[in-house]
Amino acid sequence: MKGEMARILVIEDDLGTATEIAAALTDHGHEVASAGVGREGLLRAATEEFDAVVLDRMLPGGMDGLAVLATLRATGNEVPVLVLSALSAVDERVRGLKAGGDDYLTKPFEFLELTARLDVLMRRRASPQRETTLRVADLEIDLPTHTVTRAGQTIELLPREYRLLEYLMRHAGQVVTRTMMFEEVWHYRYDEPTNVIDVHVSKLRRKIEIPGAPPLIQTVRGAGYVLHAPH
Amino acid sequence: MRLIDLPRTGSFRVALLFLALFGTASAVLFGFLFLQTHQFIIANVDGWLAREAPESFHSSLPDIERQFEARSATNRSSEHAFSLYGTEGRLLAGDPLQMPVPIAVFDRPFDFKVRTNDNHKRYRGMAHQLPGGEIVLIAQDMHEAREFDESFIGTVVWGGVLTAALGLLGATLVGAGTVRRLDGVAMAIQRIVSGDLSRRLPSNGTSGDFDRLAHVVNGMLDDIERLMHDVKGVADGIAHDLRTPLTRILAGLERAQRRAVSPSDYATAIEGAIFEVRGVLKTFSALLRIAELEDGARRAGFSDVDLRQVANDVAEFYEPVAEEKEIELRLACSGAGPYTLNGDASLLFDAIANLVDNAIKFTPAGGSVTVEVARAGDSIGVGVKDTGCGIAAPEREAVLRRFYRSEQSRHEPGTGLGLTLVSAVARLHDLTLTIDDASPGCSVTLRQAQFCIDLNVRFWGSGFKGKELT
Repeated sequence: MKGEMARILVIEDDLGTATEIAAALTDHGHEVASAGVGREGLLRAATEEFDAVVLDRMLPGGMDGLAVLATLRATGNEVPVLVLSALSAVDERVRGLKAGGDDYLTKPFEFLELTARLDVLMRRRASPQRETTLRVADLEIDLPTHTVTRAGQTIELLPREYRLLEYLMRHAGQVVTRTMMFEEVWHYRYDEPTNVIDVHVSKLRRKIEIPGAPPLIQTVRGAGYVLHAPH
Repeated sequence: MRLIDLPRTGSFRVALLFLALFGTASAVLFGFLFLQTHQFIIANVDGWLAREAPESFHSSLPDIERQFEARSATNRSSEHAFSLYGTEGRLLAGDPLQMPVPIAVFDRPFDFKVRTNDNHKRYRGMAHQLPGGEIVLIAQDMHEAREFDESFIGTVVWGGVLTAALGLLGATLVGAGTVRRLDGVAMAIQRIVSGDLSRRLPSNGTSGDFDRLAHVVNGMLDDIERLMHDVKGVADGIAHDLRTPLTRILAGLERAQRRAVSPSDYATAIEGAIFEVRGVLKTFSALLRIAELEDGARRAGFSDVDLRQVANDVAEFYEPVAEEKEIELRLACSGAGPYTLNGDASLLFDAIANLVDNAIKFTPAGGSVTVEVARAGDSIGVGVKDTGCGIAAPEREAVLRRFYRSEQSRHEPGTGLGLTLVSAVARLHDLTLTIDDASPGCSVTLRQAQFCIDLNVRFWGSGFKGKELT
């Protein structure tokens, strides 16, 4: 799944991790710039135009990730920032988000998780959501009334199935991982999501997919799901 | 034990101190007694002198002479002496007692010594000078009083020596006992330090100070031994759990190297390796998570959490899974709300979800799983009960250990860390984890510590008002 070409700055001191992140993002179709220390990263983020920044929480050289983030935000720079950290404690996450981070990912993570989250972050910036209907192919959600129709036929969904579908529709065309779904639909955080979510998705599929027609919800192996109109 | 160690032992010193205190107290007591007795004897003598003096002193000289002669004739062996001396000190009448020279004082009691044959004799007496210069002396032999003094002092000295000897002996015995026990403890500790963790401090079964200490230390050693055992178990678990997937990865890669001809063969091999590595990584993440929870570092992010809401969300989350396995998943509440506790909602969700996941995994089709939130007094708790195969009583402790897999679960997928995580989450929230037999099946409850036993009745009690989830 390739996203739109974007420029992403990776501020990470560990060379191995930085190389792997850069490779994953490049393979995903993005252009990557790298910085190894906080000052350099801050300078580049402030002077150049990036679509997103991947920022390590712990950086050597007196200026750590949160300081870079706080300084960047203080100058009015609103570039989406995803904070990476080896610390998974809840208050660490809260501090990362408070300092101006848009998302927080705990190491070790899978690169598909990183690219999926970055796509969502960049898209969120691009389109503020003010719609009253969401539509993918002939599947439609009327947001105020919570009504779901496929090819004009109303589909009855349980509340949680509706929430799951709405989330997938809002991120139509983007890969969403199980962790992201769990966070956004169930509002809990799990670093290791169970495959219970697969059961929910398969139930949803049974209700919205039309037998014989190409499926709207597709499985991205090892990562999550993507909902998009068949080509 | 060396004798030289003895004075350094506390009990020996205490025994000596008590010996010294007892000795001083006895000396004071006996000294006082001695003084009192002595004064009593003197007073007796003085009383006798005062009674005799007027009759002896204030008669006419011939009367006195006659009277004294009569007395000395009848009272030959008496301890009393009545003597009349001429002006030049020669005995005129009465008992043949040499006149004391000089006479210290007239008409008042005084002590004097008289040489008779070879030895001195002590007397206490009173003298009076008649108008003609003659001297009248009445006196009492103090020999018996002196003998009493001597035997009194002798008794005290011998008693003191005996007491001191017994005291020293006792102190030595007590001290030696202490040294022997300390030697035993020191030896046990040395053995423990050198690696024999099953060794315990010796205790002789009495409930003395030393045994209490030994008991506490032995309790601590039990804990340490258990922890060391756990650590070893974890290390063994990691080694074992990693060797299996790593062996599979290696085998897969080697097979690809040997046989793969097309890119799709390689792709399959890589995919297999990625799957296995992901599993390994998952195990490590779970271990790290548990370690983090056990550090208690996460408590800083705590806020008020509605336990019923979390339980409800878990039940809702697992509802389709239960439905697929034809298991009835129920949510129940007992006791009045609110069910709020200070905690981390995601962790509580994780813990309850783990319990529900296990319950569904081990309950056969047609069975039921119940999630119950309950309150008793000020405390709340949450429990998950199933109608599955249950956990055998001897295994209930063990299942909380990292990587422990019971006989039934050995062939189910999983890391063997689920219940360890639940237990870590429970500890972080000051909740007590209990595994009980629900016959059939088992129940696992997490409850606040003050949640007393009668809650067991509330939990899963007869007044169960479960409602099926929609």
